[in-house]
Amino acid sequence: MFALDIAAHTGPWRNRHPAEKALLALGLLICAVALPAWPGALLSGGAAAVLLAAARVPLVVVLRAARVPLLFVVTSTVPLLVSMPAPARLAIDPASLPVAAQTAGRSVAALTCLLLFTATTPLSDVLPRLHRLGIPPAVTEVAALTYRMLFLLVESVRAVRQAQAARLGFRTWRITYRSLAGQAGAVFVRAMHRARRLEEGLAVRGYTGSLAVQVAAHRVSVPFVAATTTLLGAIVAFSAGLVSPW
Amino acid sequence: MHIAEGYLPPEQAAAWFVVSAPFVVHGSRALVRQVRADPESKLLLGAAGAFTFALSALKIPSVTGSSSHPTGTGLGAVLFRPPVMSVLGGIVLLFQALLLAHGGLSTLGANIFSMAIVGPWVAYGSYRMVRRAGGGLGPAVFAAAALGSLATYGVTVAQLALAFPDPMSGIVGALAKFGGIFAVTQIPLAISEGLLTVLVVRLLSRTSGDDLRRLGLLRPAAEVRA
Repeated sequence: MFALDIAAHTGPWRNRHPAEKALLALGLLICAVALPAWPGALLSGGAAAVLLAAARVPLVVVLRAARVPLLFVVTSTVPLLVSMPAPARLAIDPASLPVAAQTAGRSVAALTCLLLFTATTPLSDVLPRLHRLGIPPAVTEVAALTYRMLFLLVESVRAVRQAQAARLGFRTWRITYRSLAGQAGAVFVRAMHRARRLEEGLAVRGYTGSLAVQVAAHRVSVPFVAATTTLLGAIVAFSAGLVSPW
Repeated sequence: MHIAEGYLPPEQAAAWFVVSAPFVVHGSRALVRQVRADPESKLLLGAAGAFTFALSALKIPSVTGSSSHPTGTGLGAVLFRPPVMSVLGGIVLLFQALLLAHGGLSTLGANIFSMAIVGPWVAYGSYRMVRRAGGGLGPAVFAAAALGSLATYGVTVAQLALAFPDPMSGIVGALAKFGGIFAVTQIPLAISEGLLTVLVVRLLSRTSGDDLRRLGLLRPAAEVRA
């Protein structure tokens, strides 16, 4: 399993209704993206960071998950700091610093909000409820099947990679590419095999085309929703300059 | 190359959702029709989605010394066709955002457009062109994977350039800046992905010929060698 999914399955917010957590985390995310970076993104990102700690998400999980997107943010912020006055001529542009800082700040804040949602809400709770948003059941069922199979396949990739490494399968570039093709091939064969086995298993159980699964019922907490609405309202009002902290 | 969460200005992020929506709706309708006609194909599509996701767990060595993962759009488009890939790619991108924090929800529309729409269509178009010109399966698959990956990179660079035009030279200058900084990793990656995909299809032709025939990549009882 993935570290974020493990955190979501084992955290203290596991049994909260996914809609509550979506309202909180995605509400903060919308605030981070749509409100002015200062102070909207700062407040939303700060609130999400505090809530990540309140939801007892391990810091190491958050930092590990943030590595790749932060690398993108850093790399793509570099071109914002330079301007191109003439072809093949680059110059550092101090006037671009506010735009670069706002963009990077907004992205880091939004990423923190995304992590608040992903580290507290298991995907298995979200997928069966997606049809309520108007997504066709066939699409949500394909998504659910993808979710069920992907852990096995990613685990297969890791197992094959480990076996190949133990047999010096990454010694040269040529051997590395052959090993990578072996990994992809093994995953394809396993995916097709798994689909066939599911097909046969469902056929003998009188499959009619519907893959209904039992969804754990969670009550929506009114105090949680009220607190979320107040927090989001305060961030919007403060960012819009309607209220002063003093 | 996923655009990170919150990186695009809100109006541009929303615009990319609007641009991607017709393709995803068209793909969803095609998927619903397919599932209605053949309910068991749902399982194959689920497996295809999981396979596309698992491809991102492969670590291709990069020229910079680190490693990168393939986009999988070329192989996915050739195996499962672009309309289905717009939906499967969308599902995979959503999972990558929610399970790995790669990409994001606000940038999902932009990432779907580059990786699940343009990439697969360019890949499939390249594949068909090479095949129609008499090329073998190997060159066609290489063109599909490499050009699909390059198209994804090109669209992402264009999306960033449109969002952040250069103050002096405008969108053209921004294209050069973003294109230049990402070219270091993305162009070698596209070539690597092309070569790797050829090796994968060659391997699968030998070990999973029946599955490739079922997906229409190989003609019945022919083309066992790429």
